[in-house]
Amino acid sequence: MHELGIAQNILEIAIDAANKEGAKKISRINLIAGELRGIVPLQLTFCFGMASKNTIASSAYLNIETVAVSGHCGDCNADFSIEEYQYLCPKCTGKNIQITGGTELRIKDIEIE
Amino acid sequence: MKINVMQDVLQANDRIAQNNKELFKKNRNLVINLMSSPGAGKTSLLEKTAERLAGKLRLGVIVGDIETTRDADRISKFKIPTIQLTTGTACHLDANMVSSALPHMDLSKIDILVVENVGNLVCPAEFIIGEDYKVMILSVTEGDEKPLKYPLMFRESSLMLINKIDLVLYTNFNIGEAKANAGKINPDIEIIEISCTQGTGLDSWISWLINKHRKKLGELAHA
Repeated sequence: MHELGIAQNILEIAIDAANKEGAKKISRINLIAGELRGIVPLQLTFCFGMASKNTIASSAYLNIETVAVSGHCGDCNADFSIEEYQYLCPKCTGKNIQITGGTELRIKDIEIE
Repeated sequence: MKINVMQDVLQANDRIAQNNKELFKKNRNLVINLMSSPGAGKTSLLEKTAERLAGKLRLGVIVGDIETTRDADRISKFKIPTIQLTTGTACHLDANMVSSALPHMDLSKIDILVVENVGNLVCPAEFIIGEDYKVMILSVTEGDEKPLKYPLMFRESSLMLINKIDLVLYTNFNIGEAKANAGKINPDIEIIEISCTQGTGLDSWISWLINKHRKKLGELAHA
């Protein structure tokens, strides 16, 4: 359900950016979504479709690039991907882990006409 | 034509949350964002908290629900400032909704403000509201695998309260398993076992609150 609120935010940011360039139409929005954000892409595109009706983004394609969760071990300096939310270093089994990817939720760029 | 945007989708929310935070700082409020699935015991916990904090620290409550003022009615019996936000269809509270409640409270007369979020294990974890800590309740009638199913909330919470432990014998909930699962998602999470109906563990919860309040005042004094 939080997808609708997120869709509205995406729309606002994209339209703002497009208006600054004097665009007539937004044809594509490239979104980066970390896996930790729990975004369901199908639901987000559906909500985006509803929210964008009668705007310059009504025919825009929302491209969602998901980013896997990754971490860095503060003890042994290993970098690794985190699967199944297991926050343990696979190399030294340490718990001193910083999340380095997977929490982002950002509009990367948009394509306008 | 392609244009770079590179903007956080929730930046509007985060900006309002920051404003809320400043306001809380000015009024020396410790702010807790309390989250759980529906029926885990958020309102019961607040009733017990109001009882036990009375005479020690001044509690204020903002309650978010999709409909009705039932929760606020239960809490306001304790004569503490309570604001009910009915979200209509929204499944969570965001910074803006919380900010709309603040002019209706005298924050200078509150030590600890608890924001009882909408019952939901997913969406509330996504939106910061200006809180100092996120606290979540997992009840034993829900299932010990929940941390693995809803990782963001467990990841974001500083404290997990395992509620209804008096009922654990009647369920297949394994407390050790629940703690291990939560620990995998968030190695730093603190865990307290409680029963709101029996009173088990509530002293630890109240001490946790008092300590965090003291810590915040200390930080403000040094700021």
